[in-house]
Parts: sequence; C-alpha cells; structure tokens
Amino acid sequence: MFRRYLSSTARNWNSAVTTTNDIVIIGGGPAGLSLASAIKTSPILKDLKCTLIEGNKLIDSLESYYNNPPEYIDKRVVSITPTSMDFLKKIGGWDYVKHDRIETYDNIHTYDSISGAKMEFDSPELATMIENINIQSMLYQNIKRANNESTENELILLDNTKVIKIEEDPHSEWPILELSNGNKIKTRLLIGCDGYNSPVRKFAQIESRGWSYNRWGNVATCKYRDNEIRLSTGWQRFLTTGTLALLPLPNNWCSLVWSVPPEISNILNKLNDEQFKFMINAAAKLSEGELKYLYQIADNDSDKLIDEIKWRLEIFNNKPTNNSEDYPLEIEFIVPNSRAKFPLKLSNADSYIEDRIALVGDAAHTTNPLAGQGLNMGQADVKSLVETLEKSYMRGLDIGSKIALEPYWSDRYLPNHVMLGIVDKIHKIYSTDFTPIVWARSFGVNVLNNVPFIKDFMVQQISHKD
Amino acid sequence: MFRRFSTVSRHFNAGKSNFTSITQSEKEHFQQLASTWWDSHGSQRILHKMNILRMDFISDNVRSHIKVNADAETDDEKLFIPGWNHENILPKEISNQINKELDDATWNMYKEMKLQCLDIGCGGGLLSESLARLPNVEKVTGIDMTPEVIEVANQHKLLDPMLSNKLEYKLTSLDDIPNSNKYDIVTCMEMLEHVDYPAIVLDKALSHVKPGGYFFLSTINRDLVSWFTTIFMGEHILKIVPLGTHTFSKYIKESEIRAFVNTLKNEFEIIDSKGCAYLPAVGWFYTPSSNIGNYMMALKRKEVVEPVVLVKEEAK
Repeated sequence: MFRRYLSSTARNWNSAVTTTNDIVIIGGGPAGLSLASAIKTSPILKDLKCTLIEGNKLIDSLESYYNNPPEYIDKRVVSITPTSMDFLKKIGGWDYVKHDRIETYDNIHTYDSISGAKMEFDSPELATMIENINIQSMLYQNIKRANNESTENELILLDNTKVIKIEEDPHSEWPILELSNGNKIKTRLLIGCDGYNSPVRKFAQIESRGWSYNRWGNVATCKYRDNEIRLSTGWQRFLTTGTLALLPLPNNWCSLVWSVPPEISNILNKLNDEQFKFMINAAAKLSEGELKYLYQIADNDSDKLIDEIKWRLEIFNNKPTNNSEDYPLEIEFIVPNSRAKFPLKLSNADSYIEDRIALVGDAAHTTNPLAGQGLNMGQADVKSLVETLEKSYMRGLDIGSKIALEPYWSDRYLPNHVMLGIVDKIHKIYSTDFTPIVWARSFGVNVLNNVPFIKDFMVQQISHKD
Repeated sequence: MFRRFSTVSRHFNAGKSNFTSITQSEKEHFQQLASTWWDSHGSQRILHKMNILRMDFISDNVRSHIKVNADAETDDEKLFIPGWNHENILPKEISNQINKELDDATWNMYKEMKLQCLDIGCGGGLLSESLARLPNVEKVTGIDMTPEVIEVANQHKLLDPMLSNKLEYKLTSLDDIPNSNKYDIVTCMEMLEHVDYPAIVLDKALSHVKPGGYFFLSTINRDLVSWFTTIFMGEHILKIVPLGTHTFSKYIKESEIRAFVNTLKNEFEIIDSKGCAYLPAVGWFYTPSSNIGNYMMALKRKEVVEPVVLVKEEAK
C-alpha cells in the first residue's frame, strides 16, 4: 500500500512536464492555423518543434464541419482576395476547401444614401466569400496530412487548453507558458494570433493604438427572394449611420454586415427575425429620413413596423425612375440564430515584434470590416512572417531574436498602416451628411466611376492584384 | 609607410610560435567590448547586421557549389538543369516548377552535408552561433585569444539548447590547433585587420581546410574610403562602432590577398569576392567593387583525387 502511495505521488510529480519548443502559436483562428500550416509545409521550417494552442474545443467542431457540413452557411463569413487564395493554395490548404460553400464574385456595387451617386467595381474574381470555419477546417485537414507525412516531428495541436500564465525564464529570457492541463512549455518564439485583446501582446508590453468607431457591426446570414437570377454581386450602401453590405454566398444566399451606431443597434437587437428582415430591405432602398422614422417606430411601436415598411417599399418599387437593377434583391429569409453583433474599431500595435515575440493578424491590427480587408491583412502577415523565419533560419540566426524578426516588422507595418488608413478614410467620408462633403464625394465617386484607370487602381489595391 | 602584406615575414618567424596572435592593446580593446557583444540594438548593432550578410555570403557560396546531379548514375536520375535564360523563354509555370525542383534538390543535399567548421577570432560568438544553427553544420569550433570574450561566448551559448552539442569555444591561438585538425569551413571574419602578421595567419588558417573545403575571410581595404567610413564616420562622427576598434595601418588590400592566393594556385582558388558597405537605415549591402572599403572573400580548396591503390590479394 505504501508503495502504491509512493508511486502515485511520483506520477503526479511527473505529470507536470515542461517541454521546450521552437515555436508556440497561440490561437486557432484562420491566422494561427494558416501560420501552422505554412510552417509545416515549408521545406525549411517543417522540422522545427511547433505547438498550436487554442482555448476552445476546436478539433471536434472542425472535424464535424469537414465530415458533415451544416445545412446553413455560418454567420462568420469573410471576403478573401485572390492573393490570399493563392497563398492558401500554395500552402496546400485549398485542397480541402468545401467548394459548394464559397462564392466568387466579380462585381461590387456601391451607392450612397443621400446623393445616389454609385460606383461599380468589377474585375474577374475580385473576391471570394468564404466561411471562417471553412478556412479553419481546410487548414486543419492540411496540417493533419503534413503530420502524417513526417510522423517523427508532428505539429502538436492542443485545443480546449488555456494559457493560464506567461512568464519569462529568468536565465534565458524565453517565455514559459503555463497551461490549463498542468503542463508548461518553454519556447524560443511565441507567436500571438490571439485576436484583438491579445494576451501575448500584453505580455510583451506592446501598446496598441487606435480608436473605436462608436459603431456596431450587425451580421446575419440571409436568403434573397428567389424571383430573379442575378450575377453574384456585392452590394454596399453608404448610409450616414454606417454601411449596409450584402455579400454574395452560393444559391442566392448572402451575408449581411450592417454597421450602425449603438442606439440603433439596440433597437435592431430588440426586433425579431421577421422584423429585422424588413428593416434590412428598408435600409437597402429607402431614404435617410424615412429610415430615421422607421427606427423610431421600431423602438416604440414595433408591431406596426412591418406594415409601415411594406407600403413604403411598394411605393418605392413602383416608382418608374427606380430601376430594380440598381438595388439588391429583397431579403426573404434569415437563418435562425445567425444574427450577431460586434464593435467596430481600428487599431495598430506599436510593434509586431519583440525579443521572442511576434504578433500576427488581429493581435497586431484590427480594422473595420468595410472593405473586407481584416483577414487578408492577416494572411499577408503570415506569408511575410514565414518568409522571414525561413530566411533567418537559413542565416543561422536565432529565429526568436528580435534581429531575426525585424524583416517581418519592416515588411508589414507600413502596408497595414496604409490599408487601415484607406478603410478609415472611406468610413469617415461616408458617415457625414455635411453638404459640401456630400457634393464632393458624389462628384468624386461619379468621376471615379467614369475614369477607368483610377478605378482599376482602387480595385487592384482592394484585391491585392499585381 | 604602411606595413606590407607579404609572405616574407613567415620565413623569418618560422621558429617562433604565436605569430598568429593579436597584440596586448587589441586584447584590452576586446575585453572592454565583451559585455556589450550581444546587444543587437546597442553599440554592436552594426556587427549583428553584418553577420547577416556574412552568413548569406557563406551559405550562397556553399549552395552554389552543390552539384545536384553528382550522385546520378543514369540520365533518368538527373534533374533537368535549364539554360541561363529559361525564365524568359519558358512559360512561367514551367520555369517556376523547374526552379522549385532544383531548389528542393539543392536544399535536400545542403541539409545533409554535416560540415565541420573552425571560426578563427570568434569573439563573442556571433558567427560561430549562426554557423552552428545551420542544418548542414555538424560541429563548430570557435577560437579566440581574449578570455573575456570567450567567457561571453560560452555564457551566451547556454541560452540556446540547440547549440550545446554543436558548438565549442576554445581560448587558444591558431598556432595551438593541431595540424591534423581539418575542417570543411574555416572562417576569419573581421579578424585579419587585428593581427600583426596576417600572411602567417592566412597561411596557417588555410592549412586547416579539407580538400574541397571552403575558406571565408572578411576585412577592410587600406584606402581613403575605408578610413573615412570605418574610422572617421564610424568611430568618431556617427559613433556606431566602438572607438579604437580599427587601426588603419593594419587594413589589407583585396589585391594583396589575391596576390597571396595566386602563389597557392595549385591548391586554392578564389570563388567569390564582394565589397560591402553599411548605411544606418538600410543595413549592410554588397557594393560593385571589392577593391574599396569592406570586402568578403571565399576560397575553395581543390579536391584531391585519391590515387587508386591496387592491393594485391597476396599482400593480405
């Protein structure tokens, strides 16, 4: 008995293991999984000891998505550029994409609520709408394949594991992570793909600067009325309260991203799906004045809302000057439980690197989803970081040292800053009803729409085409 | 006026040892530097940045001498190596594919090389550590004559577990390395300008290179540009290099080394020589001429074909 007691204490003592790693990635979102996948498929980096840690139960949900995809498209949908898609193809993830759940579109139609000025961007394969989980699932399958190819040095994926504490080894200054499973990992390089509130960034004491837009993004997965076949087009209406965007998904489904101030967001949240659906249709067509009135009714007398919108839309649709082709089709159905909201903000960390630390994606910078650039900036970060690590590894540098990481920082900070600036300016220009600016912007937009080469430049910038 | 780089000195020194060593004043200078050696964002930043270019120079030269088809016995096993201009002639997908296959094959051979390296004048171990981390290097020996910097190098080595089996430092002069110790790569980086008899050092260092092995050196041309950039600007005006690091009269012209190597023509050939310069916001970069300012040079020892010895059965 005594011996048993001894052995069990010995086992407990041994169960807390400290392992040493080359790279630890925190966060199993698209950025973290792309990075893991790119490291595993790089001929140069694939032998490094690498672990990815995710706090939520990720593997089960990604496996079940891959084997039995759900009926409806998930509400978390992103727009990826051809460059991001090429990168996903290069690292091998795209082999496992669910093709029937993505939609590539050639056309973005933007219009303005006050002056009616409109602009159309078109370019073959401008962007592709894809569920976040579709990206995560294909990357996970790709990591599984890579692990099967080199069994002696697998990438370890720990899900449902939280990082309780990060400290610094007093001697080597390498970060040591204390995990919720009792183990510890000491690592040469810690990469934070852990989102806006990045614990890794806080550990590294890197300041993130930016501002909140005082806007909420409301998202939902919707279906257009099936009465008309159209080419897949992204629609964006610039309202002074924020942007209404309807982005195409397969089979006449679409993804809504509607940014509104907090007070309107509160009103919208109180509406049931049927009322919300009418509210979207109203916001896509009616004037700012009518919308203001409808928000009031929605707040105080929501039973009347649907009838109120119905007759206004009927008048609008019957007006001979309103060409239905200039507006999106009306929404007929909202997927139950697909509505969600999130605050819009812009931020850029002061640095993306520190000794033993790199930040990627939202941990380094966040943007408003207006031009759908958030995920694509993250993919560009991953590509640059992997190239930097490959180069530094070939140079025999310690890949966790700041001098080895510097090229990543100098490569990405400025482009991200410029992109954040562009998206921010578009947002600010369109959220005013101050007359001279409305004139200037509709004049600008009208000119832009008729001067092909400037618009081509903008399309290039948005789709990252060379 | 200036000390000539000549091979004459080695004859009259033949009996004495330690002519490869540095002087006392140089030693004291490096003692003072020891504590800041690894501060990549402080006074040694320029050296850390230079290490990046040196490593590129070394690995580019080693990789460009890999023959991917060396082991192929039949034509079918050989990888297709296109002409020099194939990127402009072939369709993009095909030329990319060819490049990728060549890169992968080169990388796979590179990875398996298991090189032995000797870093002469390793200082705090910047180059030694980088060499030791390379996947194609099995063992690095770093030697230096200043105890303080060897101490710093040994301390810093402990910070990275992957170095423990691959890297070893010795407080010794080049003279005390046994003649029988031969290496695939011998380096003398930023070191010849600190010794009194560079020709002896060079001669001795080259004797440790295996047949087919490489020798890399970097130093500074003795010219006005070098004086202006390394001493006047670097040490006195911009103060990006610690004061007293350089002694102008000890700088060596590229042509002098070239003349020296030419006397060894049957054994060594110069496979690469590049000038390099530093700009604070840019880092180190190659310059068009290796006759001005800093430069790096790569030498390769010729392969010796082992004579075939026919052993008669009866002899056994």
